This record gives sequence, C-alpha cells and structure tokens, in this order.
Amino acid sequence: MIADHLFFAGINVLLAWSVYVVLMTGSLSFAQGMFMAVGCYTAGVLTVKFGWPLLAATLAAATLASIVAAVVGWPALRLRGVYLILVTIGITFCGRVLLENVEYVGGVAGFGGMSGASHTTVLVAVALIGTAIFWLSRSPLQRTLDAVREDDRVAASLGINVPVVRLIGFASGAFIAAIAGSLFGHYMSFVRPESFDILLSVYVVLYVVLGGVNNMWGALLGATVMTLLPEYFRVLAEWRPTVFGLAILLMLLFRPQGLLSFRTLSSRWKPANGASAITTDEQCKTAPS
Amino acid sequence: MLAGQILNGLVTGAMYALVAIGFSLVIGTLDKLNFAHSEVFMVGGFIALLTVSYMPWQLALLVIFLVGGLLGLATEFIAFRRFQTTEGKVTAALASMALGLIITDLVHKGWGTEPVPLKVQSEWLQTGHSLFGATVLNLQIVILAVAFLLMAMLHVLLHKSRMGRQIRALAESNVSASLLGINVRRVTQTVFFVSSALAAVGGLLVALRGGAANSEIGLTFGLKSLAIMAIGGMGDLRGALVGGLLIGVLEALMFQMGLGRLVEMTAWVALMAVLMFRPQGLFGGGIHAQEQRA
Repeated sequence: MIADHLFFAGINVLLAWSVYVVLMTGSLSFAQGMFMAVGCYTAGVLTVKFGWPLLAATLAAATLASIVAAVVGWPALRLRGVYLILVTIGITFCGRVLLENVEYVGGVAGFGGMSGASHTTVLVAVALIGTAIFWLSRSPLQRTLDAVREDDRVAASLGINVPVVRLIGFASGAFIAAIAGSLFGHYMSFVRPESFDILLSVYVVLYVVLGGVNNMWGALLGATVMTLLPEYFRVLAEWRPTVFGLAILLMLLFRPQGLLSFRTLSSRWKPANGASAITTDEQCKTAPS
Repeated sequence: MLAGQILNGLVTGAMYALVAIGFSLVIGTLDKLNFAHSEVFMVGGFIALLTVSYMPWQLALLVIFLVGGLLGLATEFIAFRRFQTTEGKVTAALASMALGLIITDLVHKGWGTEPVPLKVQSEWLQTGHSLFGATVLNLQIVILAVAFLLMAMLHVLLHKSRMGRQIRALAESNVSASLLGINVRRVTQTVFFVSSALAAVGGLLVALRGGAANSEIGLTFGLKSLAIMAIGGMGDLRGALVGGLLIGVLEALMFQMGLGRLVEMTAWVALMAVLMFRPQGLFGGGIHAQEQRA
C-alpha cells in the first residue's frame, strides 16, 4: 500500500519536473502525458517483444521521446504563448488517436506484459533527475534559461539562440516524462491509450502551479501533496477535481502578482551580486528618513 | 449521400463556429484565453436537460442563452477580474482551467460520468424533407438557422451598436479605452456574457443533435473549437466561422472516405499545418496579426 503511494508520488514528481523543465524556458506544455505514453509504449515494446533490459529500454524510449518532441515542437516553439499551448494540446489528442489505431501495440484494448519496476526504481529515478535539475540550477546554463524565459527579445539580442534553447528545454521535458512513462508501464504491467488523456497533462501542469513555479522544490511539493493527500482522506479523493480546482484558484487569488513571476530564482541562487544590489537599494530608500 | 454528409459537416461546423467565436471574442478583445468556456459549453447541454422537458425548445433556447451568459459573468468574476496584469495572462488561463475542472466535477456529481439521454417533446424537429437527394431534418435546419442568426446578431452588435464600438475600442487598447471614458469592466462583462451565452446555446444544439448531454464534450468538442479559433486566426470572427465550417465538412468527408477513426485528429493536424505555413491563421485580421503574443 505505502509502496503504491510512494510509486505514484514518484511518477507525479517526475512528470511535474518534466513540466518545470519546459517552463524554465518560458513555455507551458500540455503534452507531457503524451510523451509519457511514448516512453511507456516504446520501452514496453522493447522489453516485451525484444527482451531488452529495463534500463536500456527506458533510456532508448526517453531518447526517442525527446527526438519526437524536437521534431513536433520545432515549428511550434518559434511561436509564442497561446499557440504553443494549443500545439501541445494537439500533440496529446493526435498521439492518443494514433496509439488507438496502431494494432502492433494493442490499439484501444491496451498493451501489457511489462514488469520489473518497483517503487525503489522510481525513487532512484527521482533522486537522479532531481540531482541533475539541481546541478542545472547552479550552473551558468541556468542564466541563459532565465534570460530566455524573462524576455526572449532581450535574450535574442544578447546572442542567445532562443528557439534552440526552447527546443532543448522541450526535448528534455519529454525525456523526463518518457522515463516516468516507462517506469509507470513496467509497474502497472498493463496500459491503455486512455491512461494518457488530456486531463493527465492538465493535472501535472496544475501540480507545478500549485507548488510554485519558481524552483524545482515547488513542483516536488505540489506533486507529492496532491498525490498523497487524497490517499489518506476519503473526502478529498471523492471530490478531488473540485478540491484541487479550488486550491488552485485560492492559490492564484492570494498571490496576486501571479505565480508565474519568476523574479526570485536568480537572486536567491546567485547571492553575491543580487544580494548586495538589493541592500544598497534599500539603503537608498531608507537614507532620507 | 455525399450531399447528406456535407450537410452534416456544415451542421457540425456551425456548432464549432458558435463555440469558436466565443473563444475568439474573449481573446480578441481581452487578449486572454478562457479555458472555462468549453466547460460552459458542456453545461449548456445539461441545462437543456433541465429545461427542454418542461418547456418548448424555443423558450429553452432563451433560458439557456441567459443562464450561459450568467455563467460567463461568474467566470469573469472568479477567474479573470483579479488577473489583469501582463503577467496575469497565463495565470488567468490557469485559473479558468481550474474553474473548468470544478464545473466538470460538479456536473459529474449531479449526473454521473455517462451521457444522459435527452428527450425532446417535439415531433416536428425529427421530420425530414428531401432536398438534392439528401434527407434534411428540421433539426438540422434549426441548428443552422440558430447558429447563423446568433452570429449575424453578434456581427450587428459589434459593428452597429454603441457597445460594439466600445468592445472594438477595448480590443485596440485597454488603457486608451479607459482614458476615453469607456467603462472597461462593464464592456469586459458584456464580452464574457455574450461569448458564454453563445457557447451554452452551442451546448444545447449539440445535445439536441446527439440526443444526449455528455460531460466529455468540454474536453473534446470544446478544445477542438479552440483549435479552430486559432486556425481561423485569433480574434477574427470571420476566421472562426470559416474555420468551423471547414473543419466540420472535412470531418464529414473523412467519415465518407472511411477514415472515421482518425476524425478526432483533423482539427489538430489542420492547426499544426496552418501554424507552420500561415502562423497568423487563415484570416488573421484580428489584433494579433502583427504581434503573436497572448
């Protein structure tokens, strides 16, 4: 029982991070559920029909998913805002229709026979990917991402290739989502195309919004809390979408600056210059009095 | 047979257009994406359940128009009024998405997750005529007539009335409109009222045609209309109309060619194709023509 909870929390944390990685480059993706499906089905086919080991199959599936993301995302990532959101929703719908029509992976009936993942595997994956994202947040690359997210025109004028940075973010998001999908498939041992519908992608984005989009811990917190709470409180499980929706609304209402303001990240993680700048600023303000 | 399919496609397309125009109106004037719109559209079918059994469908149409409008006002109050900054755009979209989740869940609690059959007390709607070798149901004529009448009324409202002028001013610039003495909040409310009322009527028409109210259509039909809005060009009402009819007919033709299983993809593939070759949409006469942001 507790292993189940840990497992689903782990999967949702991975998915939330996959949204967060895309969000770091300033795009909102509703396609993570479909990249999860790509990972799940590819890894499943590799282990069940070709007898690959789980680790190799997962990595291959994740690579394939990121290639798919790069190819599909390329025309969309040059656009901005609403268009990108629409294209990612479209990816989810198209992917589901395609999965339902490919008999090789079972079509509507679903695909089964995978095994080998346990909650420990997922926790190891969470730890590894968490470390990678943490390392990224301390690295110079984070500053490039910040620039692209805050203002893509300024970033472009600084010589940053904005579409490529976005593409890398989108592909890495798909990579993480596919790992989650592969582990999900090998734990559940049976999946159907309808397991990966648009609601899954919507939920994952809202986990990140609920937890806070400023840093990786927000995604971790939001996904864990929203997975575990309904397991322990019956009422919450029954009214899950309503409670969840209300939580999001209240959260957004009482943070009127908008949760999508990313101002704190750089000053918190790069203390030296940022901190001194803030203090001198405050000194100026207080000086006249 | 082909004529019948094309007619079917036009009827579906008119309903797509009705919902897409609502999306387009909000995004064109306020530059915001209202995800709760597709759920208000879904609720329209369920209000139809409550009303059509007790009154003639003509009256039900009016009631649904008003209730849908009120839901639009509620949406504006809950999910949009607080988020008016530039950064608030995405926030408002997410808030309306959360509201959509709540609406869907409440409908699920009231009627369950399965489609609920809708009985209409009118024989007249189901009688058919023969036209160009195809059977035309009165219902189909009514759907087309209602949809086009509402769109024509919207056109008149936007281009011939004082409120329409204010809406167009707001679409140009929020700040200048308020400097010119336009009551921005009231105009915003009008936009939400009209767009949601159209969506709710769309929900009624879909329920009448399918013979059932379905809680799934918000996420399928509703989001497809969103894609159609982008295909036509964001904020452009002609685009939404043409896009809706085009996708409707295209889907009907795909059924005709035996590609029925791929129908759900049509609008989305069309969206990606349009964005690749003509990113501003088919018409793109809206305010987003030069600046692709929202």
